Amino acid sequence: MDFGYSEDNERFRQQIKDFLKANVSREFRAEVREMQGKGMGPLAKELILKIGEKGWIGMSWPEEYGGRNADRIDQYIFEEELVRARVPLNIGNFIEQAPAIMSAGSEAQKKYFIPRLVRGEVTFALGYTEPSGGTDLASLKTRAVEDGDEFVINGQKTFTSGAESASHIYLMARTDPDSPKHDGISIFLVPIDTPGITIRPLWTLAGGRTNEVFFDEVRIPKTAILGEKNQGWYIGSKALNLGRAGAMRYYTYVSLFEETLYFARSNPLGQQLMADEIARDKMAELYCEAQVARLFTLRSLSMIRRGINPPYEISSEKVWGPEFLVKSTEVVSQILGPYHQLWEGSELAPHRGSFPKRYVSAMVSTFGHGSTQVMRDAIARRGLGLPRGAV
Amino acid sequence: MDVLLNDDEELLRDQARAFLIKESPTALVREVEAGSKDYDAALWKKAAELGWLGITFPELYGGTPAPFSDLGLLFEEMGRGMAPIPIHPTLVAALTINEIGSAQQKESLLPAVIGGYKMLSWAWFEHGGDIDLASVQLAAKVEGDCLRLSGNKLFVDGFQQADQCLVVCRSQSGSTGNEGITLVLVDTDSEGLSHSRLPTLAGDIQDELCFDDVAVPLGNVIGQLHEGGEAAVAMFERAVILNCAMMVGASHKAIEMTFEYAKEREAFGQPIGSFQAIQHMCANMVTWVDGATLLTHEALWKLSQGLPASKEISTAKAFCNERCPAALREGNQIHAGIAQIKEYDLQLWYRRVAAWSMRMGTSIQHRRIVAREIDIVPK
Ligand SMILES: Cc1cc2nc3c(=O)[nH]c(=O)nc-3n(C[C@H](O)[C@H](O)[C@H](O)COP(=O)(O)OP(=O)(O)OC[C@H]3O[C@@H](n4cnc5c(N)ncnc54)[C@H](O)[C@@H]3O)c2cc1C
Repeated sequence: MDFGYSEDNERFRQQIKDFLKANVSREFRAEVREMQGKGMGPLAKELILKIGEKGWIGMSWPEEYGGRNADRIDQYIFEEELVRARVPLNIGNFIEQAPAIMSAGSEAQKKYFIPRLVRGEVTFALGYTEPSGGTDLASLKTRAVEDGDEFVINGQKTFTSGAESASHIYLMARTDPDSPKHDGISIFLVPIDTPGITIRPLWTLAGGRTNEVFFDEVRIPKTAILGEKNQGWYIGSKALNLGRAGAMRYYTYVSLFEETLYFARSNPLGQQLMADEIARDKMAELYCEAQVARLFTLRSLSMIRRGINPPYEISSEKVWGPEFLVKSTEVVSQILGPYHQLWEGSELAPHRGSFPKRYVSAMVSTFGHGSTQVMRDAIARRGLGLPRGAV
Repeated sequence: MDVLLNDDEELLRDQARAFLIKESPTALVREVEAGSKDYDAALWKKAAELGWLGITFPELYGGTPAPFSDLGLLFEEMGRGMAPIPIHPTLVAALTINEIGSAQQKESLLPAVIGGYKMLSWAWFEHGGDIDLASVQLAAKVEGDCLRLSGNKLFVDGFQQADQCLVVCRSQSGSTGNEGITLVLVDTDSEGLSHSRLPTLAGDIQDELCFDDVAVPLGNVIGQLHEGGEAAVAMFERAVILNCAMMVGASHKAIEMTFEYAKEREAFGQPIGSFQAIQHMCANMVTWVDGATLLTHEALWKLSQGLPASKEISTAKAFCNERCPAALREGNQIHAGIAQIKEYDLQLWYRRVAAWSMRMGTSIQHRRIVAREIDIVPK
């Protein structure tokens, strides 16, 4: 067991910190606040490109695809520092599709997409969920029908986050309606500006944006398919499992607690509230549970680094983390009381009113990317070998 | 950074596990618990022969230098195998002697401990069960070349088997907190020292000690007179993390038994393990116990590196105290009726994990330490 960072790791961490200090300006933060729900502003795009130039996006991938073969732990450190500096560029999302493209893509796709993903020039919106459901994803109905050298797509996706600013949509569609549901699905890499695609915003309780995306006779070349026809489910699930691991996700779960901790130590109101020993006990409890979230992530990364595709550990991470986040919203709200409900715009609102937004958005993590129910199924069945039910 | 066990650690774990499956069967555990003997002497001898009593101790005294985490892994297996030997109290005291004892004390004590000829105990807690050193009130007065001890100690582990007991006392009257604390090694048969056994949930052997003006030579003071506060805290912390290791070891075994049971036991024409409600309980159980294990390992690793670990130790203990028994309660509920019957083995682990969670600091007490360590206590 080794729970420490090497000197190289620490040097790298310092490099990232210095970079962020030099490049994350007040103006950048103002733009992020300004652009909330409206996609990415010019300063954010510039920062992404700079990070890409440094080779830090997807740095643990092989060199031929634009990565640096870097240590997964360095990638973790990079993500950790990014989130700690509260740079809300979800690099994790940009690179989520990369493992699938690398393992299943054609040479041409790898050469085109990977370096561009690394440089931040290509970004994907994830076109999985449909109005009929997200958990039972394999029941999706959007159709892709072959026609000469093309596929013609008709149907609808929903909750397609980032579609308003993405360059491509990573689309799951049905290519064979007659096979068992998992065996008739393919994945397509579709430029978002392809004629026939329309995007309609959906606004969340927290004020964020996601979208509905409609496909009306959308024609794409056959080369846009990722991997073999009808293999999309299997290509996608592997990437989804690996995409659940990493500092990015871990930090989305614990950042609320970390910020509250900072608030409790440094803000006069926070200190006043911490005079109550029961409130301190609750905070200490969250601290303990946050460490479990961190260690689950490090465990998954340790396994991936050893070349193991974790059978259930990532699912544990994906149960513990989201439920920790929800619990922390609950606890923090009961510590802050009426201050916690103050929305953006009130002088009295701690953290510019971000608390109630996070309270309402926390739930998304418990069902997005695999609901906690389905994750528990996976732990029990894949991890513990319990039998599938007769249902 | 690789939080998994390395090859050597896996080997240590596997060997200890295989040995204890053979040498510490539940029949033996039950026999010792039934009270025919205080511990299993044959197992103690074998543990000594395997070198287990010398892990992390200097070669000079017959030990095997190894990282503290190795000892932690061994204790996990001790918990898993419920080994009925007083290895925890003996080594908690011995580790402190090794850390702060004089060369002469170490020379005269450690080889005997490591060789399996001497058993030790440690007495720390007093009425109230507090884990803050401020609660230590057992008075020690210097008189000539003696310390005279008066007062009580509670929940003293392995006292009846021990030859000597390392006692934490307050040697400067009126001192507070970590000040004026002395650690002194007291013969368990000293005049004026009486003890009475406390019956416990785990059926282990704990005693209440009563010191009635017990005279102990000053030469038995371990470390500096009046300056033992820091060492007493360190002793407590090592005891705590080894207790966590035992808890997670025992918990892993009990939840594994439950998963097997869920695959075999049928209801409504199918294995109960195929019901989603049961599966989700099982998923929680493994998640909690894995979390407890990782926290324990991180604290063990920090101690191995000589890094400050108070925060990690209390984090692990606060979490273990709540989640390990919770996992075992789920296991108990999945077994239902049969788990309530003494003949059925699951209860052996269930009672131990529960009892261990109640000792060496509650989750509330350890979270108080965590709160201090994360710096949220207003100045
Ligand atoms: C803000 C936001 C952003 C999102 N971004 C994206 C995105 O970018 N791309 C994308 O594709 N999707 C996205 N999603 C969609 C998200 O992935 C889905 O909401 C999620 O997959 C759940 O699907 P659903 O909402 O249709 O719920 P349903 O699938 O209808 O599930 C409802 C409930 O039933 C439970 N359930 C289902 N099956 C079982 C079972 N077998 N056993 C027990 N319980 C079960 C679920 O756990 C859940 O609690 C986003 C959603 C939100 C709210």
